[in-house]
Amino acid sequence: MTELKPGQGGRSRIPLRISHRLWGYYWERLQKNRLSLVGLGFIGFLVLTGIFGPLLVQDPQKTDFNILNLPPLGFSIQESIYDIKTNEITTTMIEGRPEHPLGTDSKGRDMLAMLVSGARISLLVGLLATGIAIFLGTFLGVLSAFLGGWVDNALMRFTDIMMTFPFFLLLVLIVFIFGPSLAIIVLVIGLTGWTGAARLIRSEALSLRTRDFITASKALGASDTRVIFNHLIPNVSSLIIVMASLSIPGVIMAEASLSFIGLGDPMSTSWGTILNTGQHSLDSAWWVAVEPGIMLFLTVLSFNFFGDGLRDAFDPKASV
Amino acid sequence: MINKVPLLQIKNLKKYYRVTAGLIPRPLGEIKAVDGVSLDIIEGEVLGLVGESGCGKSTLGKAILRLEEPTGGQISFQGTDVLSLNKRDLRTLRGKIQIVFQDPDSSLDPRMPVGDSIGEALIVHGVSGAGERGRRVARLMEKVGLEAGFAERYPHEFSGGQRQRIGIARALAMDPRLIIADEPVSALDVSVQAQVLNLMMDIKDADGLSYMFVSHDLAVVKYIADRVAVMYMGQIVELADKEELFRDPLHPYTEALLSAVAGLRRGGGSRILLSGDMPSPLKPPAGCRFHTRCHRVMEICPVAEPAFREVVPGHYAACHLYP
Amino acid sequence: MKTWFYTRRGIVKAVNGVDFDLRQGECLCLVGESGCGKSVTALSLLRLFDSPPGKIVSGKVMFAGIDLANCPVEQVRRVRGKEIAMVFQNAQSALNPVFTIGDQIMEQINAHGRYNRADARKKARLLLEEMNIPQAENALNMYPHQMSGGMKQRAMIAMGLSCDPSILIADEPTTAVDVTIRAQIMFILQELKTRRNMSIIFITHDLSLVREIGDRAAVIYGGRVVEIAPVETILTDPAHPYTRGLIACLPDISTNLKRLPSIPGNTPNPIDLPEGCTFHPRCRDVMDVCRSTEPALVNIAGVHKVACHLYDNAGAFIA
Repeated sequence: MTELKPGQGGRSRIPLRISHRLWGYYWERLQKNRLSLVGLGFIGFLVLTGIFGPLLVQDPQKTDFNILNLPPLGFSIQESIYDIKTNEITTTMIEGRPEHPLGTDSKGRDMLAMLVSGARISLLVGLLATGIAIFLGTFLGVLSAFLGGWVDNALMRFTDIMMTFPFFLLLVLIVFIFGPSLAIIVLVIGLTGWTGAARLIRSEALSLRTRDFITASKALGASDTRVIFNHLIPNVSSLIIVMASLSIPGVIMAEASLSFIGLGDPMSTSWGTILNTGQHSLDSAWWVAVEPGIMLFLTVLSFNFFGDGLRDAFDPKASV
Repeated sequence: MINKVPLLQIKNLKKYYRVTAGLIPRPLGEIKAVDGVSLDIIEGEVLGLVGESGCGKSTLGKAILRLEEPTGGQISFQGTDVLSLNKRDLRTLRGKIQIVFQDPDSSLDPRMPVGDSIGEALIVHGVSGAGERGRRVARLMEKVGLEAGFAERYPHEFSGGQRQRIGIARALAMDPRLIIADEPVSALDVSVQAQVLNLMMDIKDADGLSYMFVSHDLAVVKYIADRVAVMYMGQIVELADKEELFRDPLHPYTEALLSAVAGLRRGGGSRILLSGDMPSPLKPPAGCRFHTRCHRVMEICPVAEPAFREVVPGHYAACHLYP
Repeated sequence: MKTWFYTRRGIVKAVNGVDFDLRQGECLCLVGESGCGKSVTALSLLRLFDSPPGKIVSGKVMFAGIDLANCPVEQVRRVRGKEIAMVFQNAQSALNPVFTIGDQIMEQINAHGRYNRADARKKARLLLEEMNIPQAENALNMYPHQMSGGMKQRAMIAMGLSCDPSILIADEPTTAVDVTIRAQIMFILQELKTRRNMSIIFITHDLSLVREIGDRAAVIYGGRVVEIAPVETILTDPAHPYTRGLIACLPDISTNLKRLPSIPGNTPNPIDLPEGCTFHPRCRDVMDVCRSTEPALVNIAGVHKVACHLYDNAGAFIA
């Protein structure tokens, strides 16, 4: 093979246009979206709380009947006590105490400890169930798109059937049959929640399959597995990440709803369980319901903001 | 310079697509994307393949590599029958025949550093040792005029012209003998197009490659090709040496194409305006497929299909004007 | 005129100082490569870009005594379609897929005028006939997907002409179609020019088309007009190094070159235009002054203007 001599046509060194690494580039674009950064910050805070928080606070299940319904620090409530002997109503002011900064519930459990424990449960359920769902969705979606033909048809009709299932009813039914446990909840949500992901990934993979770089890879002699793992999956990865970040809040809400209607895992304290306790004492101890509510609200909002930000950052069409 | 050994021989190649519609597939008909094409590519030559969109020229290119499985016909490359190859031998063949695509945006994996894209062929064909692969990728990049240090970068960091160079480097990885270039410069700006064309010529001269250069642009083909084949609705209608074809086109379609190219330095001359559009490939016209738009149509044209024959030595055409 | 787009990644100076005039019955070609700002220039004339982020930062567009760049939007709207019409590159996406061609043309006709249905339909048919569309009456009832690419492109031109505008802006009308169809469309545009005495702004990246239809051509590079002259002058005696390079590197079927001349480097990114003359990093005649000072458009010979430091303010060749 003769080497080309330098200086021959088109051999001039050309400076590159942009020089970021790919992920650095996405990070830079994500940073443009303030809200998603705020979301990411809160998620980070939540993750740290979930991991280390339980080590720092007291046992969330520990009851103390001397300090029932203690308001959060800085708040006070009037408590009226009816004395049978004197037939008098005495009104005392109960103030929040620094050792229970977020107050206590009707059994005297520390709200802070319960919320911290709830953060762990919610994140765990959210991440695990989403993980299972997204894994299944990716696997089935890519398989469906790549194999095509009757496999594709069969898988997609199966997906359609899964989608028409009233998922929450199924969840209630299974929890009712097998008894409430976190593992069951995670499994059920994970095993039913993959349908949307499978469809999206399939359509994305279908459009990728016709792109020239896939053809080029085949033209080089690459095997199907190689094409799938080296080209298809990396190219749907951003979609996977975005979908995951947007589906986590749904899962967290599903777990909270289950716990709220009393089908949560009784052995663990999740935000939904706290809400469930709190609904009975809204007039006397509003914070028991409001605090987990705020946490849920902020968490769901954060994941949504972050997911939106990710989607924009990954979207090649949005590039200038 | 060109020895007359055919590197690639295509005989009566066909690629039909069945078109179906409805939930329970109901056949609508067949699209004859490539319908009986016979071609030779000689060692060291550039064969230009010209035609309008939808004429089947890209499909023909892909069928040679069996990226589209041909419906019928024969392909032999360096004496081996391509269509009877098993999977493993096909892989070896795909190192020897390579393809360069039109769209530099979609021909590179956006999530893969370009060095990995170029080196993929080396992995697939079992060139072991990351160091050896790295050196070969670096050599390939320098060969196409890119700095080897750019191997770590991603496609979006390169301009269209640079990406096309990367696509060429990837095609060169296994020292192919034939490159099928599918409109490699159509998506590029004029000032960049010339760079890439020159590069392709240099590589050809240095390595003694052959190209099948697919294009809709006659001016580009005139520059790069040795011989030119003109395709219309899945068939080759004319084939000749470049000089001959441009000086003395035989087929009315070639004539019209040539006259439609508005040369910068072309003097005034009568222009042949074709009427209408290309007919639907689902229902190609009977007889000569071009007769519905032909400015020299005769009575026989809608009736009989003209044979593809040598009108002048080395100059083939399929037209009833040359019985 | 300058049109800038304020985006998160910086100001895109898409159009950065474009000056030209258009006379009655003349075809002016805006020539340039992708990203040079030729399309944005056309959109700016009618303020058709999204604002924000786009903004005409300075400059005027004078048409019939009105400054379209600075007048109220309602006034521009009255001009759009009626006086100045636009035809786009991609007919596929410019036509509404759920209405018939006839309905769409008739809607255009009545956008600025008042015709009853029968008259509007007759006018629409005449327009399609003018576009050499066979069986125009039939074509009126067709939906865009039933038409071929060339037919759609012609139907779109018919739509543009529905209010008998005095200026037609054609933005790469032949880029998406095949050579034989391109020839048909070029023929139609030439006819229009002569028969209707219409002014046409023809935007293209293809110099060979300029020769066919243009009276004058403006070469645009990096958002600026670098050279403007009658077409013959541009093609035979280009003054700007970029124009020269562009002409030289175009493969041509009438010549036999062993090797194509080429312009090194890439087209500039409008977000990050080079200092001074935007062409200097790729220019073979680059001088020190080019790196720092932007050259002004000077008159070098009658109607031939060029923006290059090779020519002094009086238009004389220095280097």
